Amino acid sequence: MTTNDKMIEIEELTKVFYTDEVETHALSGIHLTISRGEYVAMSGPSGCGKSTLLSILGLLDTPTGGRYRLNGKPVESLSFGERSRIRNQEIGFIFQSFNLIGDLTVEENVELPLTYRAGMPSSERKKRAKEALERVNMAHRMRHYPAQLSGGQQQRVAVARALAGSPSILLADEPTGNLDSKNGEAVMHLLADLHREGSTICMVTHDPRFARHAQREVHLFDGKVVSEDDLRKLTEEVEA
Amino acid sequence: MHSFFQDIRYAARQLRKAPGFTFTVIVTLALGIGANTAIFTLVQSILLRSLPVADSAQLYRIGDDDQCCVEGGFPGSASDTGDFSIFSFDLYQHLKSSSPEFQSLAALQAGFGGWNVRRGNAAAKFLTGEFVSGNFFHTLGIVPFAGRLFSDSDDMPAAAPAIVLSYRAWQGEYASDPAIVGSTIYIQTHPFTVIGVAPPGFFGDRVTDNPADFWMPLNTEPYVDGAETTILLHPETTWLYLVGRIRPGVNLPALQQRLSATLRQWLATRPTLTANGGATLIPRMHVVLTPAGGGIQNLQQQTGKDLRLLMILSLVVLLITCANIANLMLARATTRRAEIALRVSLGAARGRIIRQILTECVLLSLFGGTVGLGIAYAGSKMILALAFPDAINLPFSASPSLPVLAFAFGVSVCTGILFGFGPAWLSSHAQPADALRGANRSTRDRTTLPQKSLVILQAALSVILLSGAVLTTRSLLNLEHQNLGVVTASRYVAHFDPEGAGYTVDRLAALYREIEERFSALPGMAHVSLAMYSPLEGDNWGECVIQQGHPAPRHGDNCGSTWERVSTGFLDSIGVPIVRGRNLSTQDTAASPQVAVVNETFAKKFFPNQNPIGQHFGIGDPKYSGSFQIVGVFRDFKMNNPRDLVRPVFLRPLSQRFMGYTDPMMSTIELQSMDMNALVFDFDHPPADVNSLIRHTLSDIDPNLTVRDLRSFGDQVAGNFSQDRLLARLSLFFGILALLLAAIGLYGVMSYFVAQRTSEIGIRMALGASRSSVLRLVLRGVLTQLAFGLALGLPAALLFGRLIASQLYSVHAYDPVPLLCATLALSAAALIAGLIPARRAASIEPMQALRSE
Repeated sequence: MTTNDKMIEIEELTKVFYTDEVETHALSGIHLTISRGEYVAMSGPSGCGKSTLLSILGLLDTPTGGRYRLNGKPVESLSFGERSRIRNQEIGFIFQSFNLIGDLTVEENVELPLTYRAGMPSSERKKRAKEALERVNMAHRMRHYPAQLSGGQQQRVAVARALAGSPSILLADEPTGNLDSKNGEAVMHLLADLHREGSTICMVTHDPRFARHAQREVHLFDGKVVSEDDLRKLTEEVEA
Repeated sequence: MHSFFQDIRYAARQLRKAPGFTFTVIVTLALGIGANTAIFTLVQSILLRSLPVADSAQLYRIGDDDQCCVEGGFPGSASDTGDFSIFSFDLYQHLKSSSPEFQSLAALQAGFGGWNVRRGNAAAKFLTGEFVSGNFFHTLGIVPFAGRLFSDSDDMPAAAPAIVLSYRAWQGEYASDPAIVGSTIYIQTHPFTVIGVAPPGFFGDRVTDNPADFWMPLNTEPYVDGAETTILLHPETTWLYLVGRIRPGVNLPALQQRLSATLRQWLATRPTLTANGGATLIPRMHVVLTPAGGGIQNLQQQTGKDLRLLMILSLVVLLITCANIANLMLARATTRRAEIALRVSLGAARGRIIRQILTECVLLSLFGGTVGLGIAYAGSKMILALAFPDAINLPFSASPSLPVLAFAFGVSVCTGILFGFGPAWLSSHAQPADALRGANRSTRDRTTLPQKSLVILQAALSVILLSGAVLTTRSLLNLEHQNLGVVTASRYVAHFDPEGAGYTVDRLAALYREIEERFSALPGMAHVSLAMYSPLEGDNWGECVIQQGHPAPRHGDNCGSTWERVSTGFLDSIGVPIVRGRNLSTQDTAASPQVAVVNETFAKKFFPNQNPIGQHFGIGDPKYSGSFQIVGVFRDFKMNNPRDLVRPVFLRPLSQRFMGYTDPMMSTIELQSMDMNALVFDFDHPPADVNSLIRHTLSDIDPNLTVRDLRSFGDQVAGNFSQDRLLARLSLFFGILALLLAAIGLYGVMSYFVAQRTSEIGIRMALGASRSSVLRLVLRGVLTQLAFGLALGLPAALLFGRLIASQLYSVHAYDPVPLLCATLALSAAALIAGLIPARRAASIEPMQALRSE
């Protein structure tokens, strides 16, 4: 594997939350590498730091310590504006609760990240939005509002929005968390298809069934990356 | 009833739970209701108040116009309109004897003023006295507090001179002396017996800022004014208003017609009125019967328009207040959706929900109204001081009366319902299932259309108020900074009353000479002068001018000119230059030809395209048209109303008395014109103690001479703008209040917008929105509402400008400056109000925003 193949490189990453006088170590010395075209699932019990790690990977949050290189460039101490630009151009988000904007149509929702790109003409935005919706089989609903769609459909629109900007990586935070099993499976198949078409995906899930769709599974426990065996032992110790 | 009290208890608990919200609403309401109550206090005191007399509804005035105060010929506007509102004593008696429909018809002096009054050896005071007919108190149904009131027998030529004191004067001026009845009081040095004291609260026949302290019978007028200068017995000199009590069942239109016919019959018998085309005017002469329960309506006519405008402005402020609070209530309703949905799901009817929310609103309003009463009291005091800066004894106060309390209560309840009903209705229509479901799967802008509409309404109304404020302020500035033609700096005006100090005509010349000499010798005195009236003090004499060789003007011809008798230093003392010929001087003596100086307007009007110097003119009758020779022309200045164009003015020297009049009336006028009322002082450098210097100098000349009032010339001029100043200041206050409320409203809505859309903003940021794009997102909302507000407000402001055009001076109703100022002020306020929540939105951390969802 060459350096150019490494999309995400994380070393000794830490995240500490301070609330009043309590210090919570959400992430403690994480090492992680994700290569281009890879499909990684991050799993672990609630509170293990999965979502915190995903937020840092998505530049929604900043680490307390450690190093983070995205596409070979250090990003841990970028300004807010720089982080916004990278989020807009390099990262596609899929949230557990879809986070579509209710006052915008499906098409406008998908187009939204493109509106933050200076200089992109409206026709180009609309073309890309349509293509993204076609990829998730939602082009026929582009004039609808989110409230007029089912949960599964809303999540497919959210995936289309994440794809519209042609990001380097898709970050999915429990994408099936608010869906029934049937719709959940459909979204998983969609992500698998996207991966097959070359997308790099990093997904947080606590459901082992969905984690198995990924090429590689990263297990987190108490803010640390652990092996599957270690995770099992630690979980058993806690339960005991 | 039980559920009603339950609603009140619950509402009180809800308000206690949200002290910030409760405090904000109460303060906002207190400002809105307080402003309205303050203006209503004034409206009630001046426009709506009845005289404190028996059965005031039975009282009617013959006349409807503010014609004042002493007129010869056809009074005031009667030549134009035929409307007769002021009467002579002879005409009064004629109407009284031929109108059995009146139980009693009283006559009262149209324009009353100050008299020199002394009791025993005490120093003389200037008190306000009014001549009234003997049946005055009987007509009004007044009973005495002490002694007795006038009867017809007191108003006979041979009756012993008697006066009735007002209760206030008895208390204030004579320390409630129980021996006052029967005692002697000297008025203008003439003894009168006090026969009684009027009841407390009775302030006379009209609402005025200087009501009568005492009343004298009409027939004592010659006794006080002197046989040579009396106006009582001049049949064509009109100076009385007539008020009567009408018998029940009288047909008013028929009575009005009959009185008009009686008036015309009487006019036809007067040779001086029928001559020179006067006979042709008589057929349109008529009277108008008007209800007089509120008294003579002069003050009401002067201030009514302004008061009604202020009432409208304060109501607009209240409307903005309601919109503001309705918005807060809508925001609050959103936070209480779950609670209300729960109540609905438990079976609460919509009416019950509405009632509960309305109870809360009305309770808030009543609290606001209570606090507002305090604001109204302070506001009314301030307004009264602004409106009547020279008031000696206002017959009303800022203290809330029963009608004012009832108004405040009514406004509070209505306000509560007005701002509460919309939110209550919307809350009652909440879908319980939606509200109880909890977290939404997609974010939605819950800033509803009603909230935005209310902000737009506030913005539009603010534009109207702000534009109105700028219009009235510009009007005031134009009035104050116009070229009045006089110089006010370092100048003072004093008023005195030599006649009241016992001076007879033969002693006046020596007195005036001594006054001029003594004051001229004071250090720093540049000029001193005596005049009948000083410029812009609100009074003047007018006569019809006849140029030599011209025929007698016909009745209705525009031949009027203001005229003044002045000492030689008059023009210098008010800073008015001579532009042609010469000024009045010491060479104009009793023995030299009768001269006059005239203003430019006089010269242009009566001697167009001619050299006015050397021309002759007179007054009253063609036979006197060669009486006065013009020796000089002085620059125009405003003598009377600063709003009016300059009228023709001529000045005659104090040293010359015209002895050629053969008519008694003209002789009377000539004699009366020798009474100087005003002293004008022009200092090089005014000394620090001007007041005591002038008073001491005058009392050194004669201890009986006292200064009635003394103020700077600037203050006297400024007194002409009191009403305009009040209107401008209150408009400005209401405009700023409206702007503040609109800004608070916009801030509230945009803060709510940001709070409600925190997660959406987080999503946008997660998708790459920069802080500046979030800032733009919020500000776009602000500017959209502002644009709608301006689109509605600017045309409405133009209409409003037209509505108040007649109250403006030198400002066009379509003046773009007020619209521009209003737009800029509102835009600036909106941007400031929007920028705070916009910055807050832009500083949202996307991760936190997403967590909050």
